[in-house]
Amino acid sequence: MTRRTVSSLAILLLAAAFVFPGKGVCAAAGEKYKRTIENYVIPDVTLVNQDGVKVRLSRLMRSKEVIMVDFIYTTCTTICPVLSAGFANFQRRMGPGPGDVRLVSISIDPDNDTPKKMKEYLKRYDAKPGWDFLTGSREDIEKVTRALDAYTPNKMSHLPLALLHSPADSRWVRIYGLIGASDLVAEYERALGR
Amino acid sequence: MKTPIVLLAGFSSLLFSFALNGPVRAAEDKPVVIAGVSRTEALRLGERMYREGILPSGGPMRAVVKGDIPVTGTAFTCLSCHLRSGLGSVEGGIVTPPTNGSYLYKPLRQLHKGIEISSAPVLRPAYTDASLADALRGGIDPSGRRLNEVMPRYLLQDNDMAILIFYLKSLSSQFSPGVSDTTLRFATVITDDVDPASRDAMIIPLEKFITYKNNQAAYYETRAGVRSARMAESMLLSPETAYKRLSLARWLLKGPPDTWRGQLEEYYRREPVFALLGGMAKNGWQPIHRFSEDNRIPCILPITDLPVISDTDWHTLYFSKGLYQEGEGAARYLNSIGAMVKGGPVLQLVRASREGRALSAGFQETWRGLGHQAPVTVTLRSGETATMDSLLKVLSGEKPSVVLLWDGPETLASLEAWASSGQRPEMVFVSSSYVGKGIWTLPDEARGFTYLTYPFRLPRDEERYTGAVESFMGMNKVQGDALIILKKVYSAVQVLSQALMDMKGNYYRDNLLDVIGTSMGAGGMDVAQDRTYPLYERFSLGPGQRYASKGCYIVQLTKGPGPELVKKSDWVIH
Ligand code: HEC
Repeated sequence: MTRRTVSSLAILLLAAAFVFPGKGVCAAAGEKYKRTIENYVIPDVTLVNQDGVKVRLSRLMRSKEVIMVDFIYTTCTTICPVLSAGFANFQRRMGPGPGDVRLVSISIDPDNDTPKKMKEYLKRYDAKPGWDFLTGSREDIEKVTRALDAYTPNKMSHLPLALLHSPADSRWVRIYGLIGASDLVAEYERALGR
Repeated sequence: MKTPIVLLAGFSSLLFSFALNGPVRAAEDKPVVIAGVSRTEALRLGERMYREGILPSGGPMRAVVKGDIPVTGTAFTCLSCHLRSGLGSVEGGIVTPPTNGSYLYKPLRQLHKGIEISSAPVLRPAYTDASLADALRGGIDPSGRRLNEVMPRYLLQDNDMAILIFYLKSLSSQFSPGVSDTTLRFATVITDDVDPASRDAMIIPLEKFITYKNNQAAYYETRAGVRSARMAESMLLSPETAYKRLSLARWLLKGPPDTWRGQLEEYYRREPVFALLGGMAKNGWQPIHRFSEDNRIPCILPITDLPVISDTDWHTLYFSKGLYQEGEGAARYLNSIGAMVKGGPVLQLVRASREGRALSAGFQETWRGLGHQAPVTVTLRSGETATMDSLLKVLSGEKPSVVLLWDGPETLASLEAWASSGQRPEMVFVSSSYVGKGIWTLPDEARGFTYLTYPFRLPRDEERYTGAVESFMGMNKVQGDALIILKKVYSAVQVLSQALMDMKGNYYRDNLLDVIGTSMGAGGMDVAQDRTYPLYERFSLGPGQRYASKGCYIVQLTKGPGPELVKKSDWVIH
């Protein structure tokens, strides 16, 4: 392959990804992330969302929709941008309307992540209703991250994780590793039993 | 073809532990015009692409990440991963390598103990403009390796690409001013509104630390010190860091604040410094903050209760938001206890002073942000005491249930008057920092309804830090305000020492701020890190964060002689 062809091919691929957001261009292979099935007990804590509204986590997690959870913070490098781009893109693919999925990002830097900062963050990713960003006391966040096996004391070494829960099944799908768009949609469909 | 996405940090540090020991000139040629614009304009536009994700046309940059997730520049930019200095980051086991010209336009070799050996195998040949464009568009590096898909593939026209590449070549390409072969220059700014005792409490330990560092460097150069020097070298990825001397100039500012800028510029013209360290001002840091911001000079942890409150400014790193943060704490506390103040309105009594205004701004902005109506605000002019009569007059008979009394030592007179009048609000909030020592003599009758914003760890829990700080700084029996200042100086020099190691000899100002952001970024959930710093219950930063302490306590005084503080809230209140 010559240089020219590399770059023009790349442009084609990129352009295609924009034009047909519904179709993964280079669908990622299954082994790119680790998928396991887990049992989690959600602690009874009350967190605060980007609008300053108190949210009882256990109730939110019992919702009738598919729930997708990740752990991020507003000033994070590398991992969070990719996770959040994934969530944003997922919402776009699901189209307008609340749909049957709720996205929940939980802050692992609760001292810095105030509702105001979280709201600005969601705006940067063009988040639509149905994607909540939660913060809370350090103790409560620790309870949640421990319960969902996402605890790292140092936020800089945090885990690239996405957790999926469908109302039809009490168990959780745990996705370790940054996941591409098509794979995320596939996991969602699978959780719905489609 | 498929690379595993989660690299282990150990492996990656082997791969990317390059040393950028000196500025290498990357630009092969010096065109006057880049993609049809002047060099200055190209740098400005390139910087905007890199930092803000905006194309020269004004539209957002577009890319695809993880193979099939389209993203635009409004979500994240090169800076989000490669950081402002372009020297890269490590997070969650994913290594983002540098992306400055001097790194890219040079073959990447495997390093042995941080030292580049010319015979070591080449991991990747030097980039050229063409191969760099290919990598940014198609994700293939000059060795043919496919880059991890976390690195987005960018959709860029040739002209835009040329501008971005021109910027990357200029990025961290020459050491910042204030760096010489032997010395890293700092200055500490002190304004003449600071009393001499406080000034000495800051400057003496700070200068002592500089001398200590330099003696250590000198010792490494003696025969006896060679062994310790080896140890230091093997710990530091950039061996010369151990031998670099630090210098610290005193920049004393005199007269009215509007003349400070000129004085600062003159000091800087005579002796450019790499960064400002510590420093102290009584009547606000604003003019010095602007000087740092406009000249792109970092300022590490100045001592001030009146910092500039900004979400976007980059160069000054503060201990906290100062008095503003205490006002913020009161608002968050009231909101959290649901004190939706049954009786009357929330009333702020604000002394007409910088301190009063900072407290009131912190309260008011936070309170409104939490969805409440703005409090009724009354200004107290100098000499004026707030009595219940005057309050009732303002509120036309309506009784306020919560009063925020943002006043200095004169506060005590108001509190005493209310305590004895029998007619008083349910809760009165005052700032312990602004009221000062007098708070300990608050009459018993007022303690039940007085709530204090307290920005530090409680005295009893703080005790054990004092000895450690004094012994490190070689001081003893320091008390009162001087002890608080000493502890701040201690924190500043700890942060600096760590940063000097983490910079790995890359003496770029943005790298200093980048490494502080990432290495102090442990604190989100990390109790251990908080416990290494005195004074504040939690002390941490993250990339781009500028206020290390983010909380305060709401406390009350116990009754009787020798009162203690009792916590009414968590450190950070959500
Ligand atoms: C989401 C995070 C992220 C963003 C945004 C990002 N990069 Fe990267 N970049 C990476 C990672 C991770 C790598 C390492 C890939 C590898 O080595 O497999 C990388 C690699 C590179 C390389 C190759 C370095 C080498 O040694 O071969 C260059 C050049 C580069 N990035 C430039 C940029 C520029 C310019 C931008 C903005 C236009 C940018 N990157 C945006 C994460 C990112």
